[in-house]
Amino acid sequence: MSETAKPVLRKPQKPFYFNTSEHLLRIGRQKANNLSELLQALETCPDDSIFQHTFRTLQEHHFIRQGFSNDFAHWTLFACNEPALAEQFASVDVREFTAIEGLRRRMVEILDEYLHNQNRPSSRLAYEPFYFCASDIVVLPTSFHPDTLGGFLDGLNQVSVHSIHHHFIEARLRLHRMSNDFSQWLEAEVGLAEAADAIERIDIYANTLEGVRRQIARIVSQAMN
Amino acid sequence: MSSEDQHATFTTPTVDPQGASEEAAPASTRSQSHPARRAADRRIGDRRVNRPLPASVLTPPTPTPAPRLDDYQTIIGQGQIDTLRFLAKDLKGKTIKMVNSTAIGGGVAEMLNRLVPLLSELEVPTHWDVITGGNDFFEITKAFHNALHGTAYDLTEAAKDIFLMYNEQNRERLKFDEEMVVIHDPQPAALIRSKGKTSAHWVWRCHIDLSNPNSGVWEFLRPFVEQYDAAIFSSQSFARQLPIPQYLFYPCIDPLSEKNKELPDSLVQQICDDFGIDRSRPIVTQVSRFDRLKDPVGVVQAYKLTKKYVDCQLVLAGGGATDDPEGAIVLQEVKEAAGSDPDIIILDLPPWCAVQINAIQRASTIIVQKSLKEGFGLTVTEALWKGKPTIASSVGGIPNQIIHKLTGVLVHSVEGCAFQIRYLLTHPEFARSIGVSGHEHVKENFLMTTNVKRWLLLFRILEQARALRRKAA
Repeated sequence: MSETAKPVLRKPQKPFYFNTSEHLLRIGRQKANNLSELLQALETCPDDSIFQHTFRTLQEHHFIRQGFSNDFAHWTLFACNEPALAEQFASVDVREFTAIEGLRRRMVEILDEYLHNQNRPSSRLAYEPFYFCASDIVVLPTSFHPDTLGGFLDGLNQVSVHSIHHHFIEARLRLHRMSNDFSQWLEAEVGLAEAADAIERIDIYANTLEGVRRQIARIVSQAMN
Repeated sequence: MSSEDQHATFTTPTVDPQGASEEAAPASTRSQSHPARRAADRRIGDRRVNRPLPASVLTPPTPTPAPRLDDYQTIIGQGQIDTLRFLAKDLKGKTIKMVNSTAIGGGVAEMLNRLVPLLSELEVPTHWDVITGGNDFFEITKAFHNALHGTAYDLTEAAKDIFLMYNEQNRERLKFDEEMVVIHDPQPAALIRSKGKTSAHWVWRCHIDLSNPNSGVWEFLRPFVEQYDAAIFSSQSFARQLPIPQYLFYPCIDPLSEKNKELPDSLVQQICDDFGIDRSRPIVTQVSRFDRLKDPVGVVQAYKLTKKYVDCQLVLAGGGATDDPEGAIVLQEVKEAAGSDPDIIILDLPPWCAVQINAIQRASTIIVQKSLKEGFGLTVTEALWKGKPTIASSVGGIPNQIIHKLTGVLVHSVEGCAFQIRYLLTHPEFARSIGVSGHEHVKENFLMTTNVKRWLLLFRILEQARALRRKAA
């Protein structure tokens, strides 16, 4: 942050309520044995299945720095041996979507186009089926609801990574805008627009969630100083 | 001289466990004259020579008290402990009953021994009842168990009658006053007939792989299962199409158990010395019963292919050869496959050797689980928890744990296993990185505390669903 652009910090009017969301995995009724069945299931499965295999799986695998993006990419690579398709699935950034329907359409488009361009039959059996699952979600409070920037930093460093996922990744679906709870609060309540923007640009696919936490903390610390 | 005399073999004692016995002594002490044995002993500084198994191996250790929730704080962090407390808050005082078929032995009893006190500590009092039955009942339920795993079985009317009779006896004996009743596995499944008399949520927790069940047994059990409010399976692939919600609860390990707790390096060293394992050279280990489905002979073959390229020892640690006639045959097959190789160490240990298994896993460079068929594969979970680069077959619940090349390596053949052993032995940085991710994967998904969280979540979700139904009505 340059000297000239140093922001004026405001005392927040509203505290930041750190929450966390916990998920219970529900086994769905659909499964795919090949790419054709995957397409059909992608078109018809419940929204919470799309959520599970894209947003939620990122939390389940938050410790992996590279090579894991969503369950569709993983399955098409390792069970179907379709690396080109897997790359396309993997390139989908869930943070570009503020509603599940858009994310579903993108996945369907990728697979539809891929199958259209292939000469191989889409009914070739996968090594193992793809089981569609979904999540039942319970949102919980934490003991952190700071109304200062220092308190925010303290909470950020102490809550579980599930809370980081809740506020930083899942928030889009709640806010219906391309942002996250941290950036929203820092900009609206503290006046840290630049820091909010820098946080929004953190790459979740090249970082673990612990890494995301550290980067957010660094950005906030720099802004405080 | 038989091959048994040529490589290091330790067996479970079958005589007075209080005293030193010939059976308990390492085979190496009975075969010191063999040149290969002597050469191996020299390489490891004579640690194997004339050393009986330690007393701790001969007698079961004193059980340790169950850990408290706060004991897990250093492992999972305060944030997760707080989450458990917040989850339990709305359930305070509501009660759970767990019902299974055995209090001792087996993975379910082991899990309940830890789960029940933790839920109760969170002020969700949890009671655990064990059903009773005669030998005829347990013979039938054992046959059901095998049949549900796909074994051929001719279900007779007499078997059905015995199954239902004992379930009725237990139904009359047990009270179901709790708010949530959890029935584990098929043995007590017909207790669901008491559902109508209670206001409890009834949950069937199936620990069995039902992906390919004997249709006669499954069609007999299905009407009972369909009356529950929810069913729980250990893997997506183990579930059936049912009209009730089905949830996925992975089996779990307790990071504070004897099998998984941190050990001082001096103890790891001492246990390795006791068994003649040389920690200065790479150690490849498989921990499993001597059972053909665990493919120990395949592991020996993979080791032999590996050994052409890189130096290593193979440790096959397990049990089952003393109390299981087929186990003894498999053990003999393993010894024959091992031949005269002094770097193959076969340990047939008593079931209480949790600390020894823990130490061997911690001393290992790579851990292998080359099963041909597997349930969930908790030995894989244990290996991953210890941060060990793990190579395992892509069967049963193992792909839930091993994400290929990210948290471990999946293989499909002896040759594939051999290649991956040698690749990991020669690429320690990659091996280390998958070990780190494997540990984190277990921490996130397969620990006892995660299991506590799942039960609390399920209880809350069932309560919420009921409240919504009442509101709608």
